[in-house]
Amino acid sequence: MLHCWSCKIQEEEPTPFCPSCRKIQPVGRTEDYFSLLGLPRQFGLDGQELDRRFRELSRTLHPDRYARAEARERRLSLERATRLNDAHRYLRDWRLRAAYLLKLAGTDVFAEGKTFADPDFLEEQLEWREALALAQADGDAAGLARIAERARARLAELEGEVAGLFDDPEWFSELVIEIARRLSRARYYENIVADAERAGAARRV
Amino acid sequence: MPRAIGIDLGTTNSLVAHVDERNRPAVLPADEGRPLLPSVVWYGPAGELEVGAAARRKAPERPVDTVLSVKRFMGRGPGDVRPEDRGIYQFDESGAVVKLRVGGGARAVTPIEVSAEILRVLKRRAGEALGDVPGGCVITVPAYFDDSQRQATKDAGRLAGLDVLRLLNEPTAAALAYGLDKQVQGTFAVYDLGGGTFDVSILRLDQGVFEVLSTGGDTHLGGDDFDRVLARRLIDRGLTPRAAAPSPAVLRGAVAAAQRIRETLSAEPAVEASVELPEAYRLDVRLTRAELEELILPVVERTTEPCRAALRDAGVARVDGVVLVGGATRTPLVRRHVRALFGLEPLTDLDPDTVVALGAAVQADALDRGGREDVLLLDVIPLSLGVEMMGGVVEKIVLRNSTIPASATQQFTTYADGQTGMVIHVVQGERELARDCRSLARFTLKGIPPMPAGIARVEIAYAVDADGILQVSARELTTGIEQRIQVKPTYGLTEDEVEKMLVESIEHAEEDVSERFLREWRVEGDRILSSLETAFQVDGDLLSPAELGQVEERMAGLRTAMAGTDYLAVKAWIESVDAATKVFAERRMDKHIRKAMAGHRVDEFADHPPATGSRDDEHEPGA
Repeated sequence: MLHCWSCKIQEEEPTPFCPSCRKIQPVGRTEDYFSLLGLPRQFGLDGQELDRRFRELSRTLHPDRYARAEARERRLSLERATRLNDAHRYLRDWRLRAAYLLKLAGTDVFAEGKTFADPDFLEEQLEWREALALAQADGDAAGLARIAERARARLAELEGEVAGLFDDPEWFSELVIEIARRLSRARYYENIVADAERAGAARRV
Repeated sequence: MPRAIGIDLGTTNSLVAHVDERNRPAVLPADEGRPLLPSVVWYGPAGELEVGAAARRKAPERPVDTVLSVKRFMGRGPGDVRPEDRGIYQFDESGAVVKLRVGGGARAVTPIEVSAEILRVLKRRAGEALGDVPGGCVITVPAYFDDSQRQATKDAGRLAGLDVLRLLNEPTAAALAYGLDKQVQGTFAVYDLGGGTFDVSILRLDQGVFEVLSTGGDTHLGGDDFDRVLARRLIDRGLTPRAAAPSPAVLRGAVAAAQRIRETLSAEPAVEASVELPEAYRLDVRLTRAELEELILPVVERTTEPCRAALRDAGVARVDGVVLVGGATRTPLVRRHVRALFGLEPLTDLDPDTVVALGAAVQADALDRGGREDVLLLDVIPLSLGVEMMGGVVEKIVLRNSTIPASATQQFTTYADGQTGMVIHVVQGERELARDCRSLARFTLKGIPPMPAGIARVEIAYAVDADGILQVSARELTTGIEQRIQVKPTYGLTEDEVEKMLVESIEHAEEDVSERFLREWRVEGDRILSSLETAFQVDGDLLSPAELGQVEERMAGLRTAMAGTDYLAVKAWIESVDAATKVFAERRMDKHIRKAMAGHRVDEFADHPPATGSRDDEHEPGA
């Protein structure tokens, strides 16, 4: 179904380069962030392998390699390199990677207006915010650092839980809400870490 | 064969470099035989022009007509010129872009034009040194430059008749020069304190890959600030006769004296001097290095937090080395500060004044030859890009420190029943409220079909190219109505203005202006022909054979014109093809809307994937 724009040869699967004439090809509709990096579509992933593939592909796709190429190749290189960078950014962050898997499965957790009722979490949220506000008001740098540390620990726990949920072969039919809820909790802890660190930095200066 | 060049367009000095026959980067003489061209432009009352040391010599006598440190005004609007930067200049506040009144008040010039004069001299000097007109070029910018500052720099390059292959971040350029020279590996910080800007970048160097992990800085912090605080002190303590409000010429003279004294104190423990200033003023100076350091310490300390933030953002606690860049890093206090901050003796093997230009030359040479197998630069966007939401809050779309090129999309909905338009305000910065961020552009997406509030789905797509410059497009998803908007920076020049300036530029009329227009219109023609060919494959049946014949005839005409050398002919044929394909475009739009109504997903037949874009795609014919 696919044809190389340059030599017109037929291709089976979308590829970065035409196997015949080696010209750069557009991103195919069936290519997702995982296939762009040649990785299996799953939550578990080897970060070093991800970085290695990203760099190797960047070497061949980056617009720097096409500065003197014809307009069409320049455009395709920009398109491919953009998608590759986006893929790398998404996959190396476990929360974005999980959200992307949910999106591929039909649930866009971060779309506007999407919230997941999480009453159990409300009280905990208030406690965290209160502790943060207190430490900030007291100018308690050590306290702020402890809060950031605890929130980071919670993030690590959530990552483990999410990994466990994705291990269930039926996750996309049974556990989507469970995963989504943890992702929005993780977002909350991320904000705690960022705010505590910012407040801590402001204290130091 | 034309050779590629690298240009460091600095606040205080500018340089040009190339890669020589032995494959080594080297700076070229730029001003009176020296590599440093002072970034100074003098506009005479009768239209004369001087650039560099000659212009600086005019400064005492005509300070208002001598533009220094113009980089501080790049990409700025009249409203955001800081009081301390206004100095002695006379501003023309009428337009959207900052303008300076020069030439005895006869002319108003934009910072882009002033920068273009500096670039023109560098281009000419490089041509003289190399014996040929330079080919492509890379211009460096502070890593912390925002979108409008980058756009302004690119426009200046264009205005100077340069073929700008890429904008390159200064710290990255320095790392490139260092890394290739010293074969270093590991995590490095580049601490770049220039005349007017401070940048810090954290990079990972591994097998020829230079990956920027994070960047930070302050576009209003540099050696100029040292000179300003020192000049104020010198005037307070040693100006004879005493003057409460010295004239611009006296101030400028005091700042120049401060710079020389500061440089002397980098090597000597104390200075005692008497400096003649214009208008029969005199400056008596007695200063020790310790006194100078006490004065400038607050300025140096402003670099601390950006460094800490960059380390935090990079997720590293320590680095394997620190590279110093920029003339202001020669100051002993700065070196001590860096040592304390990173716990390392900074690397100073390469001249901090030339290292950026050398890196730019390496990159220009690589780009010109279609890239190097052994080297790859992966740079990032310095400041988040967002959109203003209801209530003035910013929703970030592309986060800072994302590797470029990058893209991201976000969906929005309407907030009123029957709302048919949506104002999209594009901003850059880390603050929560749009009014605290930099406003880049504002445009309206029109033609949203009337629907109850919250039903329409508008997708905004941001695409940042390899120069760090942004393109925005918006489309309504339920109907597929799409507007791909070339976002014009709020404080930039329009395409028409740039083109007009080019035509007005005398040097250009003689040189290669038509050559360059021809190249640009050929690219445009290429784009149109290839997109039409794709469209015919999908929707060719929407045209009758007669209509198709007419379009193909005009496409053939365009191809012939593109093979010729007359850019006006190419432009005319593009317009003729556009006119002939209007009906086709309308029918395609109808078909796609019908299809959307029939329950298909819009992106099944979108011409481009929504999450990608390029400047070429956005380019609209200029007339």
